[in-house]
Amino acid sequence: MAYSELIKNFNRIRDYMREFYVYGFKSREEYTGKSARSYDDERRRLESWLGDYMHFRQTAEGKNVFISIDSRLSRHNPLFKAWKTKSFTDGDITLHFILFDILSDSESALNISEITGEIDRRLACFSEPRVFDESTLRKKLKEYVSQGLIVSEKKGKVMYYRRSEAAPSLNRDALDYFSEVLPCGVIGSYLLDKGEVRKSCFAFKHHYITGAMDSEVLYSVFTAIREKRSITMETVNRHKDRITENHVIPLKLMVSAQSGRQYLMAYTPRFNRITAFRTDNIISAGPDDVCESYDEFHRKFEEMLPHMWGVCTEKRPGRSLQHVEFTIRYSDEEKHIPGRLEREKRCGTVEHSDNNTSRFFADVYDAGELIPWIRSFICRITDIHFSDSALEERFKKDIEDMYALYGLGGEEQ
Amino acid sequence: MIFSEIYGAYYNTVAAIISEAVSHPVSNEDIRKIIEKHAFGESILTIPEAINAERWQLIKPDGTTPIEGKPTLPLSTLQKRWLKAVACDPRIKLFGDVNFDFPDVEPLFLPEDIIVFDKYSDGDNYEDGEYISNFRLITDAIKNRYPIKVITINRKGKSVCSVLIPDYLEYSEKDDKFRLIAPGHIINLGRIVKCKKSNKPFDIGRVRQSRKKTASVSFELSDERNALERVLLHFAHFEKSVERIGEDRYFVTIKYDNDDETEMLIRILSFGPMIKVTAPGCFIDLIKQRLLAQKSCGQ
Repeated sequence: MAYSELIKNFNRIRDYMREFYVYGFKSREEYTGKSARSYDDERRRLESWLGDYMHFRQTAEGKNVFISIDSRLSRHNPLFKAWKTKSFTDGDITLHFILFDILSDSESALNISEITGEIDRRLACFSEPRVFDESTLRKKLKEYVSQGLIVSEKKGKVMYYRRSEAAPSLNRDALDYFSEVLPCGVIGSYLLDKGEVRKSCFAFKHHYITGAMDSEVLYSVFTAIREKRSITMETVNRHKDRITENHVIPLKLMVSAQSGRQYLMAYTPRFNRITAFRTDNIISAGPDDVCESYDEFHRKFEEMLPHMWGVCTEKRPGRSLQHVEFTIRYSDEEKHIPGRLEREKRCGTVEHSDNNTSRFFADVYDAGELIPWIRSFICRITDIHFSDSALEERFKKDIEDMYALYGLGGEEQ
Repeated sequence: MIFSEIYGAYYNTVAAIISEAVSHPVSNEDIRKIIEKHAFGESILTIPEAINAERWQLIKPDGTTPIEGKPTLPLSTLQKRWLKAVACDPRIKLFGDVNFDFPDVEPLFLPEDIIVFDKYSDGDNYEDGEYISNFRLITDAIKNRYPIKVITINRKGKSVCSVLIPDYLEYSEKDDKFRLIAPGHIINLGRIVKCKKSNKPFDIGRVRQSRKKTASVSFELSDERNALERVLLHFAHFEKSVERIGEDRYFVTIKYDNDDETEMLIRILSFGPMIKVTAPGCFIDLIKQRLLAQKSCGQ
C-alpha cells in the first residue's frame, strides 16, 4: 500500500512514539519486531507530525531517531497531534461536510430521500459527481447518531435526521488548562482546534505528556468505572514480549506526578486480588457485564489505601505489613527540611523529636517503594530501619556503592 | 472513539478551506497557507491533490464550494462527557462561569476516580475566594497585557509589593501549585496576599526580560533493577538525549532550568548507584558533598 501521512490503527504508532520519546537510543536495525519498511513509514509520519521535536544522531550502530520535548516550553502537549491523524476515504470526507451543511440547524429534520436529493444537488457542479447510495448514507448517519452529532427520530414509518443542539461557546482558558492536566486531555485539544489559535495563559512544570497516548484505553476504563462494569483488556509484558488477555474489575486510576506513570487499579478474579496495571501496557479495553459486587471491591481498595505508598497492594490477605522508619537531622538554617517531610510523607507519620531532628515511619505493603524517596534525604539520614532485613541491607549496600562510585570510601568503579 | 477522523487535522484543515470558500473563491496559495497552519509537514502533498482531482468534492475548480454555510459541528457525546468531568473538578471554580453542564450525558470520570498518589500535600487552596479572584485577575492581565500590583509575604514575614505584567501562569502537578511568571518575578499564587490592577504608568522597556538559564547534567546509567525505564520515564519531561555505551550501560544528558539545581540533585540521588554523574564537575561536587555529609551521619 502506498505511504500515507494518516493512519488507521493508533496502537502501532503508540509503540513507536513511546520508543522514540522515552528511549530514543535504538537504531533502525533494533526495531526487530517490525519490518524495515514499517519502521521507515512510522518514522516519516512522526517527522511529518512532530517536525521540530524530531532529532537524529549518527552512532556506530546506525542512525538513531528520537523525540525530545521540554514540556515546560510547549503550552500544549505536542503528542496530541498523533490523535489527529486518523485516515478516512474520499467518500467519508465529502459526505461529512455535505451532510452537516444539509443538516445545518437543530430545528429542521430531513429523511433519507430528502438528504439524498440535497447531496445530489450540491455535487451536480462537479464533472463526475459522486453518488452516495442509501445504504452508505444510512451507515454514515448511524455512525454520527452514535457519536451524538445527529439525532434520529421516527415519524410514522419514516426516520428523520437532524443535527444535535449547537455547541455553546466554551471557556478557552479552562480548556487550555484542563486539556493538559486531566486524563483524556486530547478531547480538550479537539475542542481548542475549533477556535482561533491564541497563546495559552498556562505553562506546566514537571509535566509528563506520555499519558496522552493511553487516552483511548482510559476512555474505555473510565466508562466501565462509572457503569461499575468489568472489562476485558489485553496487556503486554514488554520484558517477555507477551500479550495476555485479562478480565478485571476496574476501580481507580492512580497517577504518579513524579514519574509520569499511570496505573489502573483493578480487581482480578483469577488471582483474587487487587493489582496495578500500567496503562501504557494496556493495548485495549472493552466493556463486559455490570459487576454486582463492585462496591465491595471498591471498599476493599479504600481499606488498603492507608498502607499504600505507591501502587503495591496486599499480596495475600492477612500478610503482615512492612515497617520502615528513618531519622534525619538538619541545621537551624534548614527549617524547610521538616516541612519537606510533612508535605511528602503520604501515608507515613512524621515526629519532630527536637528542633533539628525528625523521624518518619510507616507500615506499608511494600517498603521497597519508599527507597527512592528516602535516598533523596541522603546527607542527613542518621538512622534507618526496615522490618525486611534484606531491604535494609540493600539500602545500605547501595549507599556504600554510591560512595565507591564517587571515590569516597570504596574502590572507584 | 477518541481516534476518529472527525477530530483530525485534515478535517479541520478542509473545514478552514471551506470557510474561506463560502465567501470568496480560494486560490492554491490560500489553500497552501491554510494547510501550513492547520495540518502536518507533508499534508501539502496530499490535500491540494485530493481537492484538485475532485476526489474530495468540496471545492470546485474555480475555487468556490457547493457547501452553503461555514462548516460547524455540534459537540459529540465524547466531548460532552469530558467537559462534564472537567466541570466536576474543584479547580473549575478558578475559571468563572464555564457552561460545561450537559444534562443528556454522564461525566466521563469524577475526581474520586483518580488518585495522584505522590503530589505534595501543601498544594494551593483552589476553593479560597481571595485566591480565585487573584487567579482571575492575573489571567485577565496576561491576556490583556496590563500591569498589576501584587503583595506577598516573604520568608521573613515582611510584606513585599511588586508591580508587574504577568507573562503566564506555571502549574506543577507535583507541587499542586500555580506560580506567576513575569519578567524578573516568580511568585507562588498561594503566597499572594493582595493583587489588584495597577493604574500607575508602567514602563515596559525598563523591565528585565525573564530569560531562564539552562544547565545540563550528564550521567552514566546502569540498567539494573529496571533502572533504564524508570530513569528515562522519570526524566521524560526534560529535553534530553540517550546513547548506549555498552551492555546495559547508557549515557544520558538532560537540560534543566538552573534554578532547579537542588531538585535535580535529589532526583538523581533517588536513583542511588544506578546513576553516576559525569559532568559538569560542579554537579559532581554537589553529589560528593551530600555523600560525605551522609558518611558523617554514620549510616
